Amino acid sequence: MRNEKTTMRGVFINGVLNENPVFRLVLGVCPTLASTTNAINGLGMGAAATFVLLGSNIVISMLRNFIPDKVRIPAFIVVISTFVTIVQMLIQAFVPSLYEALGLFIPLIVVNCIILARAEAFASKNSVLHSAADGLGMGAGFTLALIIIGVVREILGNGSVFGIDVLGASFQPMLLAIMAPGGFIIFGLILGIVNSIVNKIGKRSAGKGAEA
Amino acid sequence: MNTTAILYAAAVLGGLGILFGLILTFADKNFAVPVDERVARVREAVAGANCGACGYAGCDAYAQAVVSGEASITACTPGGKKTAEALAEIMGQAVGDIAPTVARLLCQGETGVVNMRYEYQGPQSCHLANQLAGGPTACAWGCIGYGDCVKVCMFDAMKIENGIVVIDEEKCTSCGMCVKECPRTLIKLLPREAKVTVRCLNQASAKDARAACSKACIACRRCEKACNYDAIHVIDNCAIIDPEKCTLCGECVKVCPTKCITHQD
Amino acid sequence: MMEFTLVNFLLFMVNCVLSNNFIFSRYLGCCPFLGVSSKVETAAGMGIAVTFVMGLASLITYTVYHFLLVPFNLQYLNTISFILVIAALVQFVEMLIKKSIPALYSALGIYLPLITTNCAVLGVTLLNITENYNMLWSVLNGIFGALGFLLAIVLMAGARERLESSNIPESFKGFPISLVIAGLMSVAFLGFTGLVK
Repeated sequence: MRNEKTTMRGVFINGVLNENPVFRLVLGVCPTLASTTNAINGLGMGAAATFVLLGSNIVISMLRNFIPDKVRIPAFIVVISTFVTIVQMLIQAFVPSLYEALGLFIPLIVVNCIILARAEAFASKNSVLHSAADGLGMGAGFTLALIIIGVVREILGNGSVFGIDVLGASFQPMLLAIMAPGGFIIFGLILGIVNSIVNKIGKRSAGKGAEA
Repeated sequence: MNTTAILYAAAVLGGLGILFGLILTFADKNFAVPVDERVARVREAVAGANCGACGYAGCDAYAQAVVSGEASITACTPGGKKTAEALAEIMGQAVGDIAPTVARLLCQGETGVVNMRYEYQGPQSCHLANQLAGGPTACAWGCIGYGDCVKVCMFDAMKIENGIVVIDEEKCTSCGMCVKECPRTLIKLLPREAKVTVRCLNQASAKDARAACSKACIACRRCEKACNYDAIHVIDNCAIIDPEKCTLCGECVKVCPTKCITHQD
Repeated sequence: MMEFTLVNFLLFMVNCVLSNNFIFSRYLGCCPFLGVSSKVETAAGMGIAVTFVMGLASLITYTVYHFLLVPFNLQYLNTISFILVIAALVQFVEMLIKKSIPALYSALGIYLPLITTNCAVLGVTLLNITENYNMLWSVLNGIFGALGFLLAIVLMAGARERLESSNIPESFKGFPISLVIAGLMSVAFLGFTGLVK
C-alpha cells in the first residue's frame, strides 16, 4: 500500500471517503439534520463549513509552534469563531435567502465538532499545506454527505431536486421528511446503508487478501 | 476606515480575554486540589482496565483509596502478583501470599446435553430468559447460553460455543465481573491449582437431574466412596470438592457415571 | 417582552420542554445526545450538568451582550464573545466544583468539558438575543431548554438500554438504529406542537 496518508491527494481523499466526517466519524450531527431540508441549503452549509475549516486549519497550522499547550483549546476556539463571524457576514450580505434558511446554524458552525476535532487532531501537528488539504477534504466530504441527505429529503418531502420539480404535480409529498423526525430517521437509514456498503467492501478486500 | 470601531472591537475582545484569563488563573491557584504524587505512580502500576474487581469505581478511585490507606494493595486481581508487588514498593508495605484464581463455569449443559423446556424467542439475554417461567433449560441451575457474561468480560476471555460459555483460562484475569453478571451464579472464582472441578450445581433428586441433563450430578456418591482423602462430599444432592484436601489424584473423575467431574489439563 | 405572570410562566415552561424541545424539534445538542446516552445514570448526570451550565451561561452572556456589546455597537462580535464566555465559564465551574463539592465533581465532573462544544448551550444564548428576551426570560429559557434536553437524553438512554439485548442487523448497530429511534420519539413529540400558541 502506498503511503496514502502522507500525500496531499491522499489526505484529501481520506477526508471524503475513509474518514468522511458525517458518515464514518459521525460528527457534526446537528447542522447535518438542520440544513438538509433541501439540497441547496445542504450545499450552502457545506460550503460555509468548508470555508471555515480551510481557514482555521491553515491559521492554526501556521501558529502551531507558538500557541502554548495549556491555552490550546481556547486559542483554537478564538480562531474558528473569527472565521465563522466572517462567513456569517458574507452570507448575510451576498446570499440572504440562505441566511434566512440556515438561521441559527451559521454561528453554530463554531461548535461543530468536526472543526475543533480536525484542529486538535491534524492542524496542530502537521504542515500548512497538508492541513489545507485535510480541511478541503473534510469539508468536501461534509458537503457531499449533506447533499446526499438533502437530495433524499427534498425528493421525498417536496418532489424536487435543487429546486427543480422532478416528480410532477401528481406526487403527494411526504411532509414528515422535511420536518425534524424525518431528518433523524432518514439520516439513520442512510447511515445504516453506508455501513453495510463499507462492510461488504471490507469483506471483499479481506477475501482477496486471503486468496493472494 | 472607521478606526474607532476597530479600536472598540479590539478593546472589548481583548478586555474580555484578559478578564477571563485573570479569573481562570485565580481559580487555578486558589482552587487547586493538592494531589499526592504517589497516586499517579499507583495508577500506573495497576492493570488499568477500569473493571471494578477491586470494588472501586475505576482505577483512579482505587489509586486514591490505596494512597489514603483505605484499600488493600492486593485488591487488583487482574494486575495479579506484579501489581501487588509494585504497590507494596510504592506504599512501603509487605505483600502477603496470594493464590491466583481463575473463573470456571460449573456447568456442562451445552445444546444436546441439557434438555429444553420450551423454545425461547425473546431478546437474547440470560437475565430476561431466566425470568420467563424459570428459564428455558430443563435444569434450573444450568447455563442458559445467551452470553450476558461474555458481554461484561473486558479481557476477551469468554465466548459462547454450542449454547454454553467457554472460558479461556490463559486470558482470564479473575476480575470477577462475570461472576456478578450470571443470573444463576454458575461461574465461580476457583484456585488455578485446583484442577479437578465438579461441573454441576444441580440439587434436584437423581431422577429429575438425569431427566434434565445427561451430564448432571445424580448424587450417586461413587466419588465420595472412591476418594481416599475425604475431599469430596455430596451435599444437597450435589458433589462438592474441598480444595484444601484434594490432591488431584483423579479417582473421582474415573468413577463418575455422568462425567460431571472434570480434570483441567 | 412578556410580563411575568403565572400563566405566562407555565406556558413558557411547556413550550421549552415539550413543544419546542431542544433536541426533538430544534436539533440542538445532538452530539452528546447520541454519545452519552447509553446508560440512564450517565445520561441523567449529563443532563443535570447541562442545565447548570445553560442557566449560568444565559445569565452571563445576556449581561455581556447588553452592557458591553450593545453600547459600543459591537453586536457582530456576539458569536466570538459568547463562545469565550462559555469556555471560560465551564473551566471555572469545573475548578470550583472540584475544590468545594468533591462528591458532585465525581458524579458530574467528567461531563463538564464536553459541554463546551454542545450546540445547545451556544444555541440558547444566541436564541435569547434573536427572541429579544429580558434577563429573567433568558435565564428561564436556558434552564427549561436544558430540562427538555435532560428529558430527551434520559428517554433515549432508557430505550438504548433495552436495545442491548436485541437482535439488530450488523450495519445498523450503534448510531443508525439510535437515530431511527430518535426520529420515532421526535414524531411522538410532534404531538405537542400547537399546545402553546
